[in-house]
Amino acid sequence: MTNSAQSRGNAERANKLVVERARKRFRQANGAAVTAIADLSFSVDVGEYVAIVGPTGAGKSVLLDCLLGLKRLDSGKIRIDGSPVDTFAREKKGHITRIFQEDRLLPWLSATDNAAFGLQIQGVPEQERRDRAAKWLDAVGLSGFKNALPGELSGGMRQRVNIARAFAPKPELILLDEAFSALDDVTASRLRQDFKTLAQTQETTFLIVTHSIDEAIFLANRILVFGAPAHVMAEIPVPSHAWQDRALSDQIKEQVRTLIAAGARPH
Amino acid sequence: MTAVANGNNSGCGAIVAEEAIDDDLSTAELEDISAEGSGRSIGRRIVRIVLPFLVIAALWETASFFTKPYLFPGLESVAKSFWTILTTWDLLSQGLVTWARLLVAVSISLLVGIPIGLAMGLNLDIDEFLRPIVKFIMGVPALNWVIIVIIWFSNTELRIGFVLVVLCTPVVIYCIYDGVRGVDRKLTDMVLSFGASPGQHVRLLMWPYVKASAFTAAKINVGNAVRTVIVAELVGAPLGIGKELDLAKNVFDMSTVLAWTLFLVLMALIMAHGIEFVERRTLRWRGESQRGH
Repeated sequence: MTNSAQSRGNAERANKLVVERARKRFRQANGAAVTAIADLSFSVDVGEYVAIVGPTGAGKSVLLDCLLGLKRLDSGKIRIDGSPVDTFAREKKGHITRIFQEDRLLPWLSATDNAAFGLQIQGVPEQERRDRAAKWLDAVGLSGFKNALPGELSGGMRQRVNIARAFAPKPELILLDEAFSALDDVTASRLRQDFKTLAQTQETTFLIVTHSIDEAIFLANRILVFGAPAHVMAEIPVPSHAWQDRALSDQIKEQVRTLIAAGARPH
Repeated sequence: MTAVANGNNSGCGAIVAEEAIDDDLSTAELEDISAEGSGRSIGRRIVRIVLPFLVIAALWETASFFTKPYLFPGLESVAKSFWTILTTWDLLSQGLVTWARLLVAVSISLLVGIPIGLAMGLNLDIDEFLRPIVKFIMGVPALNWVIIVIIWFSNTELRIGFVLVVLCTPVVIYCIYDGVRGVDRKLTDMVLSFGASPGQHVRLLMWPYVKASAFTAAKINVGNAVRTVIVAELVGAPLGIGKELDLAKNVFDMSTVLAWTLFLVLMALIMAHGIEFVERRTLRWRGESQRGH
C-alpha cells in the first residue's frame, strides 16, 4: 500500500460513513431523465449525529436507499467503515437500520416479534432475539404491550416499536427517515425526547433525514443543508445547547431556511 | 382483501372484488341491525334468510299436488330420501367418496398452484411465460376436460382427480399471484433494508400474505369442485354421488336426485365454513389491523 493510500485508509477509518461524488439519475415514465443525486460528497464520523434537511424532492430518501444498498449509484462511492456499501450491507446484516416515517410493522407479528425482526434476519436464535426485543420494548416504554398486534396499538406506540426494531440488532449506523413526521406534535415531541435519551446510551452513529429544522437542532451535532438534486449546500455545526438557547436556535433556523429556499428544485 | 383485489384484472381479482362488495353489504346490514335494536333485528334477519326458501318450498309443494312425482315430488318424499342417505351406510359412503375426492383435489390444487403463483408474482419472465398457458387452461370447459381424460386415462380416480385439479389450480395460481402483487411495496422495502435474503423475503413477508390468498382460493375452489365433480363422476365412475345420481336418473327418482343435490350443497357449505373457521384463527391479525387503522 502506498503512503497516500494508507493515509486515506486511516482517514476513512475515522469516518463511519463517506459519500464521494455520488450521482444517481432516474428515468421517468415519460422517458425524461431526472437527477436525484448530483455530485454529492459528505462524511459522518463515528458516533456523530448528522441531520440532513432540504427541500422536497432533494433525493434524501434515494440517498438512504443507496446507503442501505437497495439502490445503486450511477457513479461515485459510498463507504462505511472504509468498505463499499454493498460489501458492508452483505457482510454485516442489520448493522445499518432505518426508522421509517410510517411504522411499517408486519401486521401479523406481535410487538416483540416486530421488534425482533432485524435479529431474525441476522439469524439470532429465537429465545435470544425475543429477550433482546423485549428489553428494547421495555426501553421504549412498551412493557405492557409485548404481545399486542400492531392493529391493537396507537400510532405513537407503533412508532415506538419501529424505534425498538431499529435499535435491537445493535446497529452501527441508524438512519432516521422523517421518523417523527407522521405523528401529532405532542406525541412526536415526547417520542423525540425519548429517542434522544435512548440514543445517548448507545455507541451508534445517526443520520437523520428530516423536514423539521427544530428536530434537526434538537437531535443533531451538525446539519447538512441539501439542495435539489441532492448536493450539500452548507454544513452548519449545532452546539449541544442550541435547542435550549432560543436566540441561537432561531439564528440556525433562519440560516437553514434561507439556504433551503435558494436550493429548491423549480416546480 | 382489498389489497388482493387491487392486484389486476385476473379471475381471482374479479371474484375477490365481488366478495369485497359482499363484505360491504354485510357491514351495511350490521350497522342497520345495530340501529334497529338487537332482538327484533335478529328475528328479521332470520326471516329474511329463511323466507325465500319457504316461498320456494311452498311453490314446490303446491306444484307436487298437480304434477307427477317424477317431476315435482313432495317435500316429505325428498326429506325421506335425504334421511335414507344419511342413515344408510352404502349411500352415505358414496357421498363421503365424493367428499374425499373434493378434499384431495382442492388440496393438490393448492400444493401445485401456490409455488406457481408465487413464482409468477415474483418473476416477470416466469409470469410472461406461464400466463398465456394458465389463461388457455382456464378457457377450456369442464366437459371438454372430461372427454379428454376419458381418452387419456383408464383409471377412474385419475380421470376425476385430473379434471378437478386442472380446473382448480388456475384459480389458486391467480389468487396467489394477486396476493404477491398486492404486498405493500413499503413493507418489501422495510424487509430488504434489514438485509433479508430472497428466501427470507418470501418466508417472512410474502408467505403470510400468500396464506390469506390461499384461503380465498380454497373457498372459491370448493364451489368450483362441487360443480365439476358430478360431471366427472357421471362419466363412468363406479362410486360417488355422480353414480347415484345416474342411477336415480335412470328410474326417474326425482326425490333422490333432490336429496343428493341437498347433500352436495350442505357438503360445500360445511367445507366453506370449515375453511373460514381455520382462516379466522390463522389470520386473526387481519381483523385486528382493520380495527387499528
